[in-house]
Amino acid sequence: MVFLAKTKSPDEWKAVTSAISTLVDEATFEATVEGLSFRGMDPSHVALIDISWPNSAFDGYECDSALKFGVRIDEFSKLMKRAEKKDAVEVSVEENSLLHIKILNGYKREYKMRLIESTGGSTPLPKLNFNSKIILTPASFDKILSDIEVVSEYISIESDEKKITFSGKSDSGEADIIIESGSEGLEELQVKETSKATYSLDYLSKITKAISASGGSLVLEYSTKMPLRLEFRVANVGRIHFYLAPRVQD
Amino acid sequence: MGLDLKPILTHTNIKLSDLSNKIIAVDAFNTIHQFLATIRGSTGELLTNSQGEITSHLSGLFYRNINLLAEGIKLVYVFDGVSSPLKTDEIERRHQVKQIAAEKYEKALIQGKLEEARKYSQATSVLTDKMIQESKKLLSLLGIPTIQAPSEGEATAAKLTNSDLVQICASQDYDSILFGAKRLVRNITISGKRKIPNRNAFIDVSLELFNLEDILNQTNLTSEQLVDVGILIGTDYNYGGIPGVGPKTALKLIQKYSKLENIDQLQEQLSNIPYEEIRELFLKPKIANVTTNDIKFEPIDYDKVVEFLSTEKNFSPDRINSALEKVQNSEKNKNQSLEKWF
Repeated sequence: MVFLAKTKSPDEWKAVTSAISTLVDEATFEATVEGLSFRGMDPSHVALIDISWPNSAFDGYECDSALKFGVRIDEFSKLMKRAEKKDAVEVSVEENSLLHIKILNGYKREYKMRLIESTGGSTPLPKLNFNSKIILTPASFDKILSDIEVVSEYISIESDEKKITFSGKSDSGEADIIIESGSEGLEELQVKETSKATYSLDYLSKITKAISASGGSLVLEYSTKMPLRLEFRVANVGRIHFYLAPRVQD
Repeated sequence: MGLDLKPILTHTNIKLSDLSNKIIAVDAFNTIHQFLATIRGSTGELLTNSQGEITSHLSGLFYRNINLLAEGIKLVYVFDGVSSPLKTDEIERRHQVKQIAAEKYEKALIQGKLEEARKYSQATSVLTDKMIQESKKLLSLLGIPTIQAPSEGEATAAKLTNSDLVQICASQDYDSILFGAKRLVRNITISGKRKIPNRNAFIDVSLELFNLEDILNQTNLTSEQLVDVGILIGTDYNYGGIPGVGPKTALKLIQKYSKLENIDQLQEQLSNIPYEEIRELFLKPKIANVTTNDIKFEPIDYDKVVEFLSTEKNFSPDRINSALEKVQNSEKNKNQSLEKWF
């Protein structure tokens, strides 16, 4: 056994794989004694996902020595979807360069998936200072995005100490959503400096839809005309960070 | 041109928008040849400006790339260098085909058989150095990077898909698969409506995506064995392959015997084919050494494009401008790269 990770349900893997699948077709995971991680960008380098999943967050974790393994993420995701909420999942890499996925619940199902050649060097993280921090539930953020998406392909986010305004427009019309501090669904609003930036709705809504099913909470941080960072706090997965570059504003 | 692998390769049909934000290496010669063959007037004549200079290639490169750029697709054009000596016969054969077609074209024109003239004209296209230079110039004004390959452009384009720099290569030829392209897209510059040869009718041409790994899984072959299948069918280095062996038979033979050396009944015919060298050309082709610095996507130089195409080449300035506006207004092109903050 080279690497083995157990979780009590498939939900953690579903969140991780569906998040990654919004950006890339193939993903290279890195396993070390400390835990499992992934970092990658979409082909045009607009967005980046950084996942750090420490060994303590697993139900069981073994890794003899550091290794990288590449998977076709849609295939992996498809297999994971066969597992139900109450099923325990064991993912392992053995000497035969196959990824083994065991789904355990009364009886045992085992999938074997071919690994692909892992590619890519190390991706750096953008260096950022954030002036605004918003914490809300993924479900309420998803709703905001869908509301704006009706009229626009992008979303502008403007925040001050008292409120956040989400807006979008196109030839067909405009949308404005104002959420005041203390509103339901808004868990926290911290603004050091009034901030405004515009982002692609496509990227935001794909990633939010991918993870919102996993519940938890979502931390959105950004500054004027700077990239934003979403942190998805999913139970039993250490950290999922999503970075998105802003759009050029007219 | 190219080998006929289609019957044994599976593909998926995709939409242009599926390629948004992807980086695609385009086989430049193959694409420009397509333009010269298809962008022609009603009797098969090439488009020209008032000085009689051919402009079909520029028309194709401009309008097609504008469509792709407006979809947020990132392109890199890879140009051919010097062909392998093994391709000399094939080049000579194509030259003759063109001459014959040119004669038939003239004859059909004189006889007033316009539909026939149009058909023959498509096989007469010759890509000149001047066209190549003009193509490179236009691409650079459009902000599209170009790469000079040492040998076949499609070999470099195919190998690039194995790096982080490029996801897909684009060509009409299946040779790209033999050169090891992880993903090949066909019809990228001709998708949409296309005229059916010899008939006054149009069909919808869709984008076809081929995935090497799927192909190898489905045929149960290795990349090396797929090259052997190609050699039996016939590649640019051994035109025609083994007489009587088509794609399906070739596939069955390699699946059964696993390599050319083991097919006893074909040894005599194979002895005339330098198959070891051909394998080498596909599996270890000469390719350009490409780094991130070679692939820089620049903004379109709007003024210079208009100057080049409408002032020098007599394109309608209105049409040029409205095409350029399409990219300018495209919402897909306003995302910045995170690299700015690394």
